[in-house]
Amino acid sequence: MNILASYNWLKEHVHTRLSAEDFAKEFSLRSMSVESIDRLDQRFENIVVGVVKSVVPHPNADRLRIAMVDIGEKEVPVVCGGTNLAENMRVVVALPGSKVRWHGGADWTELKKTEIRGVESIGMICAPSEIGFDKIACGDHEIWDLTALVDAPAGASFAAALDCADTLFDIEITTNRPDAMGIIGLAREAAVAVNGEFVPATTLPLPRGSKEGVLRVRLEDSRCERYMAAVVEGVTVGESPWWLQKRLLLAGLKPINTIVDIANYVALELGQPMHAFDAESIAENTIIVRPGVKGEKLTLLDGKVVELNELMIVIADAEKPLAIAGIMGGKDSGTTEKTTTVIFEAAMFNALTIRRTSRAIDVASDSQLLYEKGLSPEALPTALARAVELATQIAGGALVDVVDVYPKPREPKVFAFDPEQVRSRIGVDIGDDVQKDILTKLGFDIAEKKGKYAVTVPYWREDDIEGSVDFTEEVARMYGYHNMPAVLPASRPPTAFDDATLDWSSWTKRFLAGAGFSEFFSNSMVSVADLEMYGVSPKDALALYNPLSNDLTHMRPTLIPSVLRAVERNQALTSAAKVFELARVYCSKEGNIPEERMMMVFGEYGVIDAEATFMRLRGTLEQFGAKTGITFTFDRLTDNDHWHNGRTVGITIDGVHVGVLGQVASDFQSSFGIHRSVFLAEVNLEALFPMMRHSHHYQAVPAFPVVTRDIAVLLDEHTEYEKICGVVRGAKTLVTDCRVVETYRGEGIPAGKKSVTIGVTLMAPDRTLTSQEVDDVMTTVIRELALRVDGVLRD
Amino acid sequence: MQDVLLQLQKEALDVFLKVQTPEELEAARVEYLGRKGRLAEAMKDLAALDVDARRDAGKIANDVKRTVEASFAATEARIVESAAEDRQAQEWLDVSLPGVVPAVGHLHLTTQAIDEISDIFAHIGFVRSRHPEVDWDYYAFESLNMPKEHPARDEWETFFAEDEGEIALGEKGKIVLTPHTSNGQVREMEKGVLPIRMINIGKCYRRQASARHLPMFHQFEGLMVDTNVSVTELKGVFDYFVKRYFGANRETRLRPYHFRFTEPSFELDISCAVCDGTGKVDGVKCKLCKGGWLELGGAGMVHPNVLKAGGLDPDVYTGFAFGWGVERTMMMRSGINIDDIRTLYKNDLRFLSQF
Repeated sequence: MNILASYNWLKEHVHTRLSAEDFAKEFSLRSMSVESIDRLDQRFENIVVGVVKSVVPHPNADRLRIAMVDIGEKEVPVVCGGTNLAENMRVVVALPGSKVRWHGGADWTELKKTEIRGVESIGMICAPSEIGFDKIACGDHEIWDLTALVDAPAGASFAAALDCADTLFDIEITTNRPDAMGIIGLAREAAVAVNGEFVPATTLPLPRGSKEGVLRVRLEDSRCERYMAAVVEGVTVGESPWWLQKRLLLAGLKPINTIVDIANYVALELGQPMHAFDAESIAENTIIVRPGVKGEKLTLLDGKVVELNELMIVIADAEKPLAIAGIMGGKDSGTTEKTTTVIFEAAMFNALTIRRTSRAIDVASDSQLLYEKGLSPEALPTALARAVELATQIAGGALVDVVDVYPKPREPKVFAFDPEQVRSRIGVDIGDDVQKDILTKLGFDIAEKKGKYAVTVPYWREDDIEGSVDFTEEVARMYGYHNMPAVLPASRPPTAFDDATLDWSSWTKRFLAGAGFSEFFSNSMVSVADLEMYGVSPKDALALYNPLSNDLTHMRPTLIPSVLRAVERNQALTSAAKVFELARVYCSKEGNIPEERMMMVFGEYGVIDAEATFMRLRGTLEQFGAKTGITFTFDRLTDNDHWHNGRTVGITIDGVHVGVLGQVASDFQSSFGIHRSVFLAEVNLEALFPMMRHSHHYQAVPAFPVVTRDIAVLLDEHTEYEKICGVVRGAKTLVTDCRVVETYRGEGIPAGKKSVTIGVTLMAPDRTLTSQEVDDVMTTVIRELALRVDGVLRD
Repeated sequence: MQDVLLQLQKEALDVFLKVQTPEELEAARVEYLGRKGRLAEAMKDLAALDVDARRDAGKIANDVKRTVEASFAATEARIVESAAEDRQAQEWLDVSLPGVVPAVGHLHLTTQAIDEISDIFAHIGFVRSRHPEVDWDYYAFESLNMPKEHPARDEWETFFAEDEGEIALGEKGKIVLTPHTSNGQVREMEKGVLPIRMINIGKCYRRQASARHLPMFHQFEGLMVDTNVSVTELKGVFDYFVKRYFGANRETRLRPYHFRFTEPSFELDISCAVCDGTGKVDGVKCKLCKGGWLELGGAGMVHPNVLKAGGLDPDVYTGFAFGWGVERTMMMRSGINIDDIRTLYKNDLRFLSQF
């Protein structure tokens, strides 16, 4: 949550001479982050108060008029469309060189001397929103009438006349520090952060009312820890004085009326939400704090009708609900200009209840934001006293009654404080006195007993400070993290090693990239359509309870749908490619978190030559195996609907299934809208990890020459390589290798047959082979081929 | 005799001078310097002279031979050179042809960043751990000092697993997609192997989707636990990482912040490279940073309650932890200016093959 804090207001409570920029820097380094600085004095440069001397119609435009405006040293013509423009009106004149927002838009533009429809115009008469006061009520096409607001002379600087030569800090208040959502709390922080004197508020304690017993309060819900109310009679509700309106406006709030403004002002000053009721709307002068009752309805201030229930705390009178506690008041019990007696409420509600209620009814407010963060019941008397003080000052009322229901007053929190522990956790030698000084200035009360410190936590930090450990932060941040040295750990290194599965994952990615595959990286969240298009039942995938959209409803149990989606997206732009993805998939388990399995998918799309592609992919996996000490076995797969059953193998290691390599079945290819064949290998890396090792096999380089002979053999189309080479290798021990050099089908080859050129490698470990020996071996090879696979030698 | 020899020398030198091709050169060599060449023939005539005349003429004859041989050598060199020149003129290459790029694959930017980040931390003894990406809310929140219903949980817009229309429940609470890698903290401590210097890099999920926020992104979580770990060491580690990853000229700073699972907590800033940490470029406010600083991520000293949840005695052990977005960190350095972070995971090969 953020607060827009006025530097002028802050400076009333902390003495400092720092420039706004320096203040922001020091404050950010020790307290909370100043996210931006808005220099109003600069923003209002060249904007002055003008007095309209005469108004004449524009000769060329029906909706425009020409005002002669006294801007001090002279009168200038300004073309203006303001419908409320009148003689003797005090107006805001933005002169050339100033910055304005046209019609309250988002961008600031610099004004220039101009002609509007042929008439010279020196500057612009502004509506509030055009100089940044968006929250000031002002009719459409009306300009800001300052006549009643200020009596500054014509030509006076706007910023000076309206006391706006200020700087606004937009500060991010961390959720543990709702106390800093008030100017006083911020100033207390600032006093330590920028080393200036803190000036507390001077509100006197609440006096006793003159007619005690006028208001009755019944507390019937323990989720309200304390309820205070003050009745002020004889108020005149109208427009607040400018100084008060201005503070609300600069903080981004909209002035409403004297009483509402006072409540909001107190919240801004002290960080304690307040509410105000019109006493006349409260039946039997009785306020009941109770759980909502099912069936009750309440129309809120913003017009929304909410059905109440026991989840929420309700402020009611003897007859009806008046407000949803801590969140928003009802429309009918608020103050109006007719109000003469007002009841200010300052109360403490359970943070969790407020939070749940706000979520349940989908109503947010500044008050709810503060309550959610955790406030203190001890803050109420001051806040209520401040509201009453302002009401008597501004609205002319008189306090008649104060009620305080606080069944179980809180005891202050006290924790032990050990400066030595602070030093060791920070790693810097910060003296006891420095530490104590910081804590004291922040409002902590330190008692010393036999060399030990007991620290009492101030009420405004009760929720935040949970134990002794929290004092370290107070000292450290105010000492300044930027003042501490940076030291590399010199302690013993860990005995644990990198997780091997992560190492191997990285290694595998590099291996695949080295082999020419490019990496896809897809969202783990997929849609029902993705799963179904790949024939996976969504029931087998982990479903999300609160998905972001219909596209992202399940955690993928397989990478293939993501890869196919990516292929489909790429095919028109990159017609063929080698790709891979390596990621964990999530396999649901009943009543448990899912099993996370590292999977690898690599392959080629846009395939033209199926055989060559298959061989490349298989070769990649074989090379992968060779590098990691794994021997894969490939067996033809003919019974899996996901794959092309003529072009696919199952992959096993010692009989254990670890993956599939082949062509994606055409049904699934077309269901994803892919035009050309896709060949993929899907491998369960998780199963491989325990076996993987960096494999370096040494084999002596042959001492004697190897001989290679090629023979072309006519074979049946379905005779597999493995069979052929098995025969060749088994023919004679001198045969050390056999590979397919070329496979030819076509002219001269009968249908159903293929011509395979086989390269046979021969070698003896102890001698150079004679050509007679080689010829003998080849004769045996040819005979064996004829005998076992019906191979016919071609000429 | 003498005149004959000198005449022969003059003739030979003239011929060599005019030679243009290797063939002419060979013919000239045979004619003058060959075994039956004219010089050899002339030498034979020396035998007919008397001793004195033979000595004088022999000396001249040797001089002539050397001179002619030298001339031949020079001519040969000239011919070889000119032949090479001719060949180069014929073997001209169009060197303006574009390079043919080898068919290498491309690792995803995120993979590259993860590898690089792991490497840097490995140098200072941090080892990579693996922890679940879908986990119990106990590890994502409760064990991190965020009790059930704590409002701080709202800051992480968390996805929950579903089971028959309800939030999936099990022995350790609800099942969530980890909204941060901090779920690895207590899990790492539970292993009971100390000291800990861990880097946990994993996928995280949050209910957000915009040009700056992805529903799936990566974080790297650092955790160091030992006796006497202090804030200054966190500063040291942070400084080391930033200088290695972003450059030695980058400055770092810690700023107070609030997280439930660390105490004290801070945000880590690095100086902006665009404005060199000044906050201004040519007198105008820097568009990239806030006052010269860029926010990198959160960190802090491990909260005693978190150590306790991990089975460690907070009076004996202290530690620090940090968690930053991988994509954010990578974008802050890369200078590739991807204006929409969603581009990263669109799997467009035209994008992927650029890295």
